[in-house]
Amino acid sequence: MLPLVLRGFMQRKVRVVLTAIAIALGVALMAGTYILTDTINKSFASIFSVANRGNDVVISPTQNLGRETRSQTSPITDQMLAKVRATPGVSEAAGSIFTPGTFLDVHGKRLTNGGAPAFVASESPKRFESFKPVQGHLPLGPDEVAIDEQTAKRHTLKLGQQMIVAGSAPAKRYTIVGITRFGGGESFGGAGAAILTPTEAQRVVGLPGHFDQIEVAAESNPAHPVSANELRGRIRAALPATVDVRTGAQQAAKDTSDLESNLGFLRTFLLVFAYVALVVGAFIIFNTFSITVAQRTREFGLLRTLGASRRQIMQSVVYEGLLLGVVGAVLGLLGGLVLAPALNELFKAFGAELPHNGTVVETRTIVVSLLVGTVVTLLAGLPPALRATRVPPLAAMREGVEIPPRVLSARGLIVRLAIVLVIAVLLAALIGGSVAVSVVFAALWVGRLFARYRRGARPRRYRVVPALARGIGALVSWRGITGQLARENSIRQPGRTIITAAALTVGLALVAFVAVLADGTKATINQAVSRSFAGNLIVENSQSGNNEQGIPAVVAPALRRVPGVAGVAPIAFTEGRLKGSSSNVRITAIEPSTFGQVYRVEWKKGSNATLLGLGKDGTILTKSYADSKHLKVGQTISVLTPTDKHIALTVRGIASDNARLLGDLTITLPLAREAFGQRDDALNFVAYSQGASNAQVQPAVNRLLAASFPQTRSRTAAQFKQDQASQINTLLALIYVLLALSVIVSLFGIVNTLILSIYERTRELGMLRAIGTSRRQIRQMIRYESVITALIGGVFGLVIGVVGALLVTTLALSDSGYVQSIPVGTLAILLVVAALAGLLAAQLPARRAARLDMLQALASE
Amino acid sequence: MNTATGAPDPQTIVQAADLSRRYGEGEAAVDALAGVSVGFPGGRFAAIMGPSGSGKSTLMHILAGLDRPTSGVVRVGGVDLTDLSDQDLTQLRRDRIGFIFQTFNLLPVLDARENILLPLSIAGKKPDGEWFDLLIDTVGIRDRLSHRPAEMSGGQQQRVAVARALISRPTVVFADEPSGNLDSKASNDVLELLRHAVDDFGQTVVMVTHDAHAASFADRLLVLADGRIVHDGDAVTSEQALDLMKSVG
Repeated sequence: MLPLVLRGFMQRKVRVVLTAIAIALGVALMAGTYILTDTINKSFASIFSVANRGNDVVISPTQNLGRETRSQTSPITDQMLAKVRATPGVSEAAGSIFTPGTFLDVHGKRLTNGGAPAFVASESPKRFESFKPVQGHLPLGPDEVAIDEQTAKRHTLKLGQQMIVAGSAPAKRYTIVGITRFGGGESFGGAGAAILTPTEAQRVVGLPGHFDQIEVAAESNPAHPVSANELRGRIRAALPATVDVRTGAQQAAKDTSDLESNLGFLRTFLLVFAYVALVVGAFIIFNTFSITVAQRTREFGLLRTLGASRRQIMQSVVYEGLLLGVVGAVLGLLGGLVLAPALNELFKAFGAELPHNGTVVETRTIVVSLLVGTVVTLLAGLPPALRATRVPPLAAMREGVEIPPRVLSARGLIVRLAIVLVIAVLLAALIGGSVAVSVVFAALWVGRLFARYRRGARPRRYRVVPALARGIGALVSWRGITGQLARENSIRQPGRTIITAAALTVGLALVAFVAVLADGTKATINQAVSRSFAGNLIVENSQSGNNEQGIPAVVAPALRRVPGVAGVAPIAFTEGRLKGSSSNVRITAIEPSTFGQVYRVEWKKGSNATLLGLGKDGTILTKSYADSKHLKVGQTISVLTPTDKHIALTVRGIASDNARLLGDLTITLPLAREAFGQRDDALNFVAYSQGASNAQVQPAVNRLLAASFPQTRSRTAAQFKQDQASQINTLLALIYVLLALSVIVSLFGIVNTLILSIYERTRELGMLRAIGTSRRQIRQMIRYESVITALIGGVFGLVIGVVGALLVTTLALSDSGYVQSIPVGTLAILLVVAALAGLLAAQLPARRAARLDMLQALASE
Repeated sequence: MNTATGAPDPQTIVQAADLSRRYGEGEAAVDALAGVSVGFPGGRFAAIMGPSGSGKSTLMHILAGLDRPTSGVVRVGGVDLTDLSDQDLTQLRRDRIGFIFQTFNLLPVLDARENILLPLSIAGKKPDGEWFDLLIDTVGIRDRLSHRPAEMSGGQQQRVAVARALISRPTVVFADEPSGNLDSKASNDVLELLRHAVDDFGQTVVMVTHDAHAASFADRLLVLADGRIVHDGDAVTSEQALDLMKSVG
């Protein structure tokens, strides 16, 4: 059978390629994701190993709240450094600073490097220094800075020029005295680095006398050799539990694994889209195989009369699936190599630049891509292969023998239901948010199975599709006979039309789902801000969405001196962990005396007076958190802070907060500063005095911010809403781009189905031409047919997506004040896009159909 | 099973007893066969004729195990087909039955040689080189062996199909209107070939046709009408066959 399959395969190159592409695109995204994330991981691993090269032992703050959380106040002090230096076996030890900061040019414009972070670093003794000057030298005085080569190149910074570095202290100008290169490589993973003298770095980040890390070199005296591990033990014994002591190699490994777990999210995020594309691809494989099996009924019948067993028939189809799967998977793997850099560019375009040196193709990437591509194709081809085994030998004798549908026994039905259920569950797990989509599909399937069970060997009917096709067809039938024929053709094989359309449905349902969700989120934010924010201005870091950098605590007092400002309420965010819990709680810190003036708290228990009585041992809970932990006013909880302290807090009030400004717990700022090591604020809410107008006050505020705190900006409520909306739009655009791949895959499905159905209708087309239909009309007919199919997919997709999103938000988010909103404009555009996509998909098939030689078409069997 | 020895096999190769076949149910039911009993001895060439709807095709399909009778028994080479599983029927087709179709039914992706050898490839058997050579010389397509069906005339295609039917030396060859799609010259060639296979290779052939001229090549003529055998006799001329048909039609 295999040679026969191979022969057939080689003769149907166009179809093979088109079908293989359906699976290849999904595999490409999968392989590309692995290649990209592996490359990033490897790049970082080499960065970390360079960074720790000169270090025998590294001392860093303990991260008692998990690796995501770090106290803003490092426990590492000058005294600790002195202790380390006094430990026997230590030849040299130095403290260093490496903290996120903001670089600006002298005009106050950010020197950004895509979305990559920028760090304020301290100059270290030679053996620990990872940055080497390629021009000039490292800073010697408090007014000098050395900047990384990439930032310098990007913004054409030259030695002798000035730049601004902003941290927790008011911004200051520095003269560039050096341009550095990290380890030998050009960039520190795309991040910017400004190197200052240690004392100046400490001042800028607001931590005089503190370090982020201590690096230690061991004595190299051959008479008293000391291993890194031994030295680590000695230092460990000398230092408190608030710091971790690791060897250089351990530290590099930890940094790498931390980063990998962070990147894990990116990988999962991208893989979800790869799986969606694969599911869509599977639909197309299934459809293509179903059609070809139906078209080859006679051939299978012949093989059966010549003595082929059912098994051999099945094998021949399965082999074909296997071959196709391998071709698709290999194409996909190669595509992944191309797609990986493209994905990186995509993220760059959306403001997230990650280092990628070289291309890392792990064995795992190859194995998983090939396996998944092949197995998905094989599985999708299995039902048609089974169907092929039911072709009776008699089919060789007669035209138009139908493959008998299988009458299901009750047991068969149950088994099938179970399979459908499992598939539905897997789909749901894979596509995550699109649970609704698969549920609806499962429902469709189950409905079909029941219909078959009840009616036995009756051909299945899809009533919805003809109805829809008639409705949509009515739109094109005014174009005369070609429109009418197109409409009838799409009704002719409703099963085929629906599967073809379903491929598009999956992609569009997800797009619609995300669009509805995003629109609701925007509406929710708008409503929450309008309802809760009672101030006039919000001051925030101008790189919005950057959680690493807030605004210096000194901004609030400075703002209070601006004429027209009546009050400023600083707000900070931190985290803690309840005793006995393994996850963190979000904590908001507020200033009791000012907060009530600028924010409308929806009290469940308590009032604004509760705020004033919070003190250093009181907290307010959100209603949802209090409910989930069964906490009541008056109860006391014990919280572990990022600085490793245990504090007792008494619940003083309970409030609900749709704006989500209030964390699970709300405490006072003085407590956050003292016990949580929180130094920066996240936001300052500004209230104007009576009669002051925004036109007067905001410019004055902006002047102050530009002069002293150029990394911050002020927003009115309207501007703030706008910012939030544009952030959501950015994410939405990214998701659209990734989902576009699935839509493209489904277009190949439409092309495939059209080509196959044209092949089937060769005679009919010849007849149409013979009685005077022009080539143009034939082309038109095929185009309309394609548009109808695409619109059916589009309508289904939008309905499923919208209903799914409404269902999910009603079930899961109704308590949290989520406002549902349907982006009618976007949905209308999506429908138009679907129609255009159908038109695009019809180009090749329409030309093929119009090219048919009339006489040959009529003569063909 | 081996009928290529040249000696006629006196045994009845295909035996049908009291066959009936009903399509549909209730009032719409149609009896395609209503009690047909017939035997086909080895090494003979039988033609089955009858007007459209007489049941001649149904009879052949049942005799060949492609369709099951509503009642009655069919034996091929002594094997009762009634209760054979799909697997056993497959085996039967591999070992004992050859088919020739009206529309040739060659696989377009295979060349002539591969088409002829297809039944053996399917059964996983090795071809007998001498037998293959003898067959292709008999059907006269040696110079066409590497051609695809699309590159051959209808007559050539049907000759390839005859060789394919004979390659596994089946107990019986069923031919379904083998000359139906051919011009008279090609038609004669193919019928001569079948005659030749019976006379020289001792092949048993059962042919369904509505063409009186084709029927004149057979040793025996059966005529069906309304699901019953209305004539069963020795070879006739095409004129006689035509008259017989007129009498029942």
